[in-house]
Amino acid sequence: MNTEVKLHPSTELLNQFVQGELATGNSVVVAAHMELCTSCCVKAKELQALAVSSWVDPDSALQSDQSGEVDYSDMVAGIVKSAQIKSEAIEALAEVGIDVLNHSIKLPKVLAKAASTGLNWKKVAGGISEAQLFLDNETVCEFIYMAPGCQVPVHTHLGSESTLVLDGSFEDELGEYKVSDFIIRDAQHNHQPRSKEGCLCFAVLDSPLQFTEGLARLMNPINRYKFKKATSRVA
Amino acid sequence: MYRNYAKQDVFGNGVELTVRLVSMNTSTTSLDAEDSVVSDESLLIAVGNSQDINAFNQLFERFAKKIFALGMKLTRNEQLANDLIQEAMLNVWQKAPLYDLDKGSAKGWIFTLSRNRCFDMLRKQKRQPNCISADDIWPLESGAEPSLVHDDIAGQEVELSLIESYFDQLSEPQRAVVEQIYIKDRTHEEAAAYLQIPLGTLKSRLRLGVAKLRNLIGVD
Repeated sequence: MNTEVKLHPSTELLNQFVQGELATGNSVVVAAHMELCTSCCVKAKELQALAVSSWVDPDSALQSDQSGEVDYSDMVAGIVKSAQIKSEAIEALAEVGIDVLNHSIKLPKVLAKAASTGLNWKKVAGGISEAQLFLDNETVCEFIYMAPGCQVPVHTHLGSESTLVLDGSFEDELGEYKVSDFIIRDAQHNHQPRSKEGCLCFAVLDSPLQFTEGLARLMNPINRYKFKKATSRVA
Repeated sequence: MYRNYAKQDVFGNGVELTVRLVSMNTSTTSLDAEDSVVSDESLLIAVGNSQDINAFNQLFERFAKKIFALGMKLTRNEQLANDLIQEAMLNVWQKAPLYDLDKGSAKGWIFTLSRNRCFDMLRKQKRQPNCISADDIWPLESGAEPSLVHDDIAGQEVELSLIESYFDQLSEPQRAVVEQIYIKDRTHEEAAAYLQIPLGTLKSRLRLGVAKLRNLIGVD
């Protein structure tokens, strides 16, 4: 556990996470951060306890709009015929590592599971590679690898982007980010990430990047196309 | 038949719970339906330890509407919210023996199951890939290593008296569980029923207790 994490999900985001309100991609990136961050685990536990007490509070705003009494006896009768589970099946989770530079990075369990079907790396631009994971229809999720010394073109986001640093570090105009840091960037930020030592991240985008400078702008329609394609794969 | 109520810290977590001591080996251990003071935890333990249908019915009455409300909030779909009652309560029934008192309230446990089933239901409905499920995102902090539990506590060279001397260093709940299994030679189910704790709690205490003994003895 890394206890010197500088950047964390906001309380609001953690609260949405424990309440099950986030899209899968966002849930996965928050869960992956929590595997690396004790303080967020503690905080999420407290938030969940609050969520549970408001859930069971008879005066809570969260009330059933179900009118009248429903007879559930058939449902109960069906359920109690099922066998009970006496011990938790321990699923042997394949360890998924990602080889970058001269070492292998062990992924947080939730990411290892999500990536267990295999990663398809593509070189994008000067020293950057990405491997997309298809988790839901609302986000684009990808591992991003920045080779040492490389730089992403200046861009902003139409929606928000949550990035979790898994190895190495990168910096932009606003600071330097290390392993376990959870960074949120949205339309207000026009930024240009670069990495001296190389960096592996997992990023979840709510909508595509918008490049704002030079020739990279030519990629904007392509980025949008990519996003559309990625989010409509199953639908 | 039940004998009496006892206020005691049987769970060893510092919380005094009103529990009813239910004698074993009878088919009439159902908790009284009219009794509104029976805690959610006691009901859940009765469901897990003795498949108590009456206790399950009471849990159903207490939680069905709350699960429906949670389903409405997350899915905004009445049909799905109704399906969630079925999915979540089925899960409560199936997993009741795994409930671990040391890791939180019955309400919190049922909330977790309901939220997770809702999440999976929605993913299925939106036809999203099943490479990931709610239990990967919100893992039950089980950390179970069942193979450890039935191993011999130590090699032959270790004196039994030595183990006994270490016994006192276990917490009271852990000692009670280790005693039931290794000294009285009861099965997990019997011991859980005797101690009035969920099977899941018994297993986790046994695991921790045995690990501590091993550590003290210096095996591993």
